Amino acid sequence: MSVHIVTRRDFLKSSGLAAGGLTLGIGFGAGTALAGDASAASETELNAFVHIAPNGDTVLYCGRCEMGQGISTALPAAVADELEADWSRVTVLQGDGDEKYGPQGTGGSKSINVMFTPMREAGATAQAMLVTAAANRWGVATERCYADNHVVRNRDDERTLGYGELAADAAKLDIPETPKLKTPDQFRYIGQPIPRHDMADVVTGRRTYGADTRLPGMKYAAIRHVPVMGGSVKSFDAAEAKAMPGVVDVIHIPRFENAYGSLGGIAVVADTTWQAKNALEKVQVEFEPGPHGSYDSKAYKAELVSRVEQSCEKVHERGNLAAAFEAAETRHGATYTGGHLSHSPMEPMASTVWVREDDVEVWASTQDPAGIQRTLGAYLERDPKSVIVHVMMAGGAFGRKFKCDYVQEAAALSKAVGAPVHLTWSREEDTRTGYYHSLSAQRIEASLDADGNVTGWLHRAAFPAIRTTFDPSVERPSEGDLDAVSGHPYGIANMQVESGLSPAHTRIGWYRAVYAIFYGYAINVFTHELAEKANKDPLDFYRQIYANSTNPEQAEQVKRSLGVLNLAAEKAGWGREVPEGHGLGIAVHHSFESYLAMVVHAEVDGEDIKVHRVDCAVDCGLVLNPDQATAQMEGAVMMGMSLALYTEVTFRDGAVVNSNFHDYPVLRAQEAPPEINVYFTNTDARPTGLGEPGVPTFAPALSGAIFAATGVRHRDLPIKPMTV
Amino acid sequence: MPESLTVNGQPREFDGDGDMPLLWYLREILDLTGTKFGCGMGLCGACTVHLDGQAIRSCLTPVSTAFGREITTIEGLSADGSHPLQLAWIRHRVPQCGYCQAGQIMSAASFLDSNPKPDRDAVDQAMQGNICRCGTYNRIKAAILDVAGGDTEETA
Repeated sequence: MSVHIVTRRDFLKSSGLAAGGLTLGIGFGAGTALAGDASAASETELNAFVHIAPNGDTVLYCGRCEMGQGISTALPAAVADELEADWSRVTVLQGDGDEKYGPQGTGGSKSINVMFTPMREAGATAQAMLVTAAANRWGVATERCYADNHVVRNRDDERTLGYGELAADAAKLDIPETPKLKTPDQFRYIGQPIPRHDMADVVTGRRTYGADTRLPGMKYAAIRHVPVMGGSVKSFDAAEAKAMPGVVDVIHIPRFENAYGSLGGIAVVADTTWQAKNALEKVQVEFEPGPHGSYDSKAYKAELVSRVEQSCEKVHERGNLAAAFEAAETRHGATYTGGHLSHSPMEPMASTVWVREDDVEVWASTQDPAGIQRTLGAYLERDPKSVIVHVMMAGGAFGRKFKCDYVQEAAALSKAVGAPVHLTWSREEDTRTGYYHSLSAQRIEASLDADGNVTGWLHRAAFPAIRTTFDPSVERPSEGDLDAVSGHPYGIANMQVESGLSPAHTRIGWYRAVYAIFYGYAINVFTHELAEKANKDPLDFYRQIYANSTNPEQAEQVKRSLGVLNLAAEKAGWGREVPEGHGLGIAVHHSFESYLAMVVHAEVDGEDIKVHRVDCAVDCGLVLNPDQATAQMEGAVMMGMSLALYTEVTFRDGAVVNSNFHDYPVLRAQEAPPEINVYFTNTDARPTGLGEPGVPTFAPALSGAIFAATGVRHRDLPIKPMTV
Repeated sequence: MPESLTVNGQPREFDGDGDMPLLWYLREILDLTGTKFGCGMGLCGACTVHLDGQAIRSCLTPVSTAFGREITTIEGLSADGSHPLQLAWIRHRVPQCGYCQAGQIMSAASFLDSNPKPDRDAVDQAMQGNICRCGTYNRIKAAILDVAGGDTEETA
């Protein structure tokens, strides 16, 4: 057990940290110890994020959840920078679910946006305390000492003291109120392509994910869910299954009425996953489909199209749209659709839960440990604080692992059998019982004057909103859900935005980039169509629209949108000659406070669509780690290409028809665009989101490229839907 | 009668239902969790291991197939992570979530054994059975070509 000598001090009141908009607690208990790690025995906790051992070995904790986006390198590197730590002395550990780390729910591309400054402050305060400890030891003023690469130096002589020698003394000092932060020119790790801290473990198979937890006495489970939201298990016969080798029990998990709760189902607990899976196949189950048993997503999409092609509920109005339409030289309208998407991370939903008399211990791939504590607290009727959550590396998540239904299920099973239970969903259950990206329909109509200026814009959207998962009475997108349209930096003077009736018939969730996927698609492709009507090059047309945007409140958005648009166009050589059957397409979108533009170079040969090259321009302010930021863009291109071409979840009779990667095909190696160039404006501006903003621009840029190559306009995603 | 097989150079005895897929034997009996479950149908490649040096999908291969033979998993590809592909994966900073990468590396290792100097097209074809949902394909290919010596261009 580690001995933390820290007394209770209140980070919350530290004005410097509060200025980051966060309340950062400080740990003071042995509960945060590095269990089983001998090096932790005398480690000193300078704050929740910084622990230093007497030999100088330093542990930096990451409070945000890692799912491949590299956050557990980027944030600790920011701490280390201000700490003046030697990165080679640093070990990064993932923090358990604990409010002392600040908000841990990892979504909305917020980690760096929200945590960058607090992490720097965590490093800077610890550094200042180490310097003060050295000054006290030497009996000199703190100004005569400075931190330099894991030691504190005395300016007046050659003396140095290592961080390890100072940590215990430093921990007894008051936390400075206003830590002095570096200026960007002083950064040593921030802005550098520091390699991921865990790569050696990944390539040797030692990195353990939620699916890899192994405990003594642990049982393995397999589950088959009620296939329709709101349905239930009508009856089941487990006699044959219970007699099978290795089977511990067959358990009915009732639906848990909670946004993060189980759909309900039948689970088998056994000695191995294989035995559990085999026995599950022998359970005879009859389901009651419930109120959504007739959901047919293709029919529903057609219904949403018919809704947006008529008047809907007005949620935003400005200028005089009717007059603009009346005075138009040209009017144009088009309808766009998109389907449900499944996140399908390579690691299906996986968790291990041990429900004990006094507490509950969870090991889970998760984006939201506090959500697990809340959900299990509600389900088990216990204090959420009695739920210990070990945040495991997630083998991909993309928004899905924010919801913890798979953890609540493992809790139900552990409680039932009185042992730790590991549950990994099958790929089929992962595909069929997710929280899906909304299917959508949008109708846009616009007017152009004789010079090709857009004078009016009518935008109707219908899609089941994410809020439906939290409040089933929600029947249509709200004004807030449509902010990205009404507040779009085009700033069209005469505008009307309408919301179409679109209740949910399945669970809707956050999928990487969320609504920006279909807004970005419709707005960009419609812009291409208007450019065609105005006989203009799409790039020139974008520039003209932005030039007409005169709302001073949107001046920065316009500037940054144009900045990435021009950068992508320049780097891609927009307008260059391409061979017959090839085309270039361009798109720009801002989401999660970042600005993205992409130029896609595609080739169309019959049914075959190849992407040869993608040029991405990104304005996310300061770039913390250019290599990992580039990786996020590469990934966004691949996911954007999957959803542009193939991925769609189809419902029939209330249930998902797709099941695995043969009928839910995602992009494969041989289809990957061979050349992806990523350019960052890399300003000193506050760093903003990167995980999601790269996704929305790919599909419309590809659509533009296909049009340039063939004259065929694609308004529906995916472009090549799988028939299931 | 227990059957014998070799896993990462170590002799093992298996006494159970030989129909159990090798994947679950490795992951849950031997606790070699580096080999991952992704789809259970041989569609994604996350479970790739070597059977007598050949890449196979362990989720579809009954453990009985391995009796008397030699299995290599990511944990046994090299003693200390020094296989040229493992080093290239680090050099090219391939992994994002990393969940699929053991399968990617095992597929690539077997492929390079049979085709040490592949061109880009051959790499594309060889790796099409391994899905990466994070989208690391280009770095994977660059790392393989780097090891093959045919193309040392850096990614990113």
